[in-house]
Amino acid sequence: MKILTTVKKVVDVELTIHVEDGAIVEKGLQYVINAWDESAVEAAVQLKENNGAETTLVSIGGEDNIDIIRRCYAMGIENGIHVNDPALAEADSFTCAKVLQKVFEKGNYDLVITGKQAQDTDSGQTGIILAEYLGLPCVSNVIGIGVIDDQHIKVSRLGDAGTEIVELELPAVVTVDVSINEPRLPAMRGIMMAKKKAIDVTDLAALGTSYDEVGGATPKSDIVEFTVPEKREGGQKFEGDAAEITAQVVNLLANEAKVI
Amino acid sequence: MAKVLVVADIKQGVLKGSTVELLSKAKAIGAETAVVAIGSNIESLIPSLVDAGSDTQYVADDPGLELFSAGPYASCVVDAAKQFGANLIWFGFSESGKAVAPRVAAQLDAACATDITDVMLEGDQIEVIRPAITNKVIQRVKVNTGQLVAVVRAGAFEATEGITGTENVVKLSPPAPDLKAVIKEILSEAGDEIDLADANVVISVGRGVKDQAGIDLVKELANDLQAGFGSSRAMVDAGLIPHYKQVGQTGKIVAPTLYMAIGISGAIQHLAGMKGSKTILAVNKDTEAPIFNVADYGIVGDLFEVVPILREEIKKIRS
Repeated sequence: MKILTTVKKVVDVELTIHVEDGAIVEKGLQYVINAWDESAVEAAVQLKENNGAETTLVSIGGEDNIDIIRRCYAMGIENGIHVNDPALAEADSFTCAKVLQKVFEKGNYDLVITGKQAQDTDSGQTGIILAEYLGLPCVSNVIGIGVIDDQHIKVSRLGDAGTEIVELELPAVVTVDVSINEPRLPAMRGIMMAKKKAIDVTDLAALGTSYDEVGGATPKSDIVEFTVPEKREGGQKFEGDAAEITAQVVNLLANEAKVI
Repeated sequence: MAKVLVVADIKQGVLKGSTVELLSKAKAIGAETAVVAIGSNIESLIPSLVDAGSDTQYVADDPGLELFSAGPYASCVVDAAKQFGANLIWFGFSESGKAVAPRVAAQLDAACATDITDVMLEGDQIEVIRPAITNKVIQRVKVNTGQLVAVVRAGAFEATEGITGTENVVKLSPPAPDLKAVIKEILSEAGDEIDLADANVVISVGRGVKDQAGIDLVKELANDLQAGFGSSRAMVDAGLIPHYKQVGQTGKIVAPTLYMAIGISGAIQHLAGMKGSKTILAVNKDTEAPIFNVADYGIVGDLFEVVPILREEIKKIRS
């Protein structure tokens, strides 16, 4: 089984994000591997270890994506494709899906595993749209993957009514939730080995496409402004005798907030 | 005139509150409204679809649609959207909505926005507001295609009192089943528990409750209040609480009238899932816990001591 995983480098959500004049202030931002994609990588590596799959990752982004690609190598991914094209700096879900489609078509993969969303946009679209473009079956929000045979996998998905068990015919696309696994910390030996591994660097032309064809010039939507959310102010904090302050708060819930 | 197609949120044969909220918003922005209902044996829901504020009801009623399957569901929505000529297609906040919306957008070649909290129309121009980066920023997004598929964030739109529609049922032909992604079964852990998305009161537990005994203690309070019972990620990862109860960025987004965070420190991922609640009460022994920065009422104390008193005091004040 040949697996393709996608990895995005995203802004670290734990740090404060500053907004000025409708735009995010770049200075002081730090970038990390998207947590959902890290789970996708771990899922791929586990399939390699347990089922003998071959693993390839693809990452769209600039020069500084190399460190996350090496991190994924250190986790156990075997091949890396780096789509490094300045034209894709602002690429949206649809454009990324078109680019990934080209990568997929060159590689003859059986399974694509992506994170269910990226923590910078929180959109949760790319993997699903990729499946539509490829005409492949897709299950999103996956929390478990099991191999049935060369042509079939069984996945569990967190749905509205409970955990849905779905049998998928390969090739297929799945998007995973972080709860699918606990991504491993790369071992020192893996990190050293990863430094020497080659990365297949490519761009739109080498993928046999163009900025226009992937929809870069005609985005379906544009972010016109960023603002900071209205801050929810903390209210009253009570410390002291538990019985006394709890009674006080219950009284406020009933008579001030009128919610009980 | 804008045309809004709302995808009815039906769970276990019941029409969920988000449908009337979305239709109310559609009417409030002066749009023509339609709803698409997908499922098996759902004919009986038609009156409630009309009452929810729709003026056309596209109904895909077929035994093959009993269990959720994203492909066939997307086909039904695309069919209805084309027949209606919708330029706005809205899903309520649900896992099925999140799974289907991008498919519909790809098939219609429309724009797609998840998690929207507001929509503005000016002539043909559509703009939406949505949070991103775990709620740290708000994006204003301009749609360039004239057609937008969107998932609406829980609690973003309010139901209008006295809203109603007109009955005009259009039956959709059943879609082809997805033979390459076959749903085998649904392991429902929820049973007849109160759905987090519907509950007026949600009580969530975090690491502070420690173990099953702590969970049970807080559950008694939830039972008293007929509250939905949620959790932080830590408790889910520890295997103490099932996944579907997780409130936060990667789980359920809730916006109840009253949210109680018991023993939850308040990581940003959790806050992103409950900050829209009307009133927040937090109980935590750490006076510095970030949850207190968003709580309207904070009790600094040992939850094992506070929760039983909470129960007693609430019983007292209600009687």
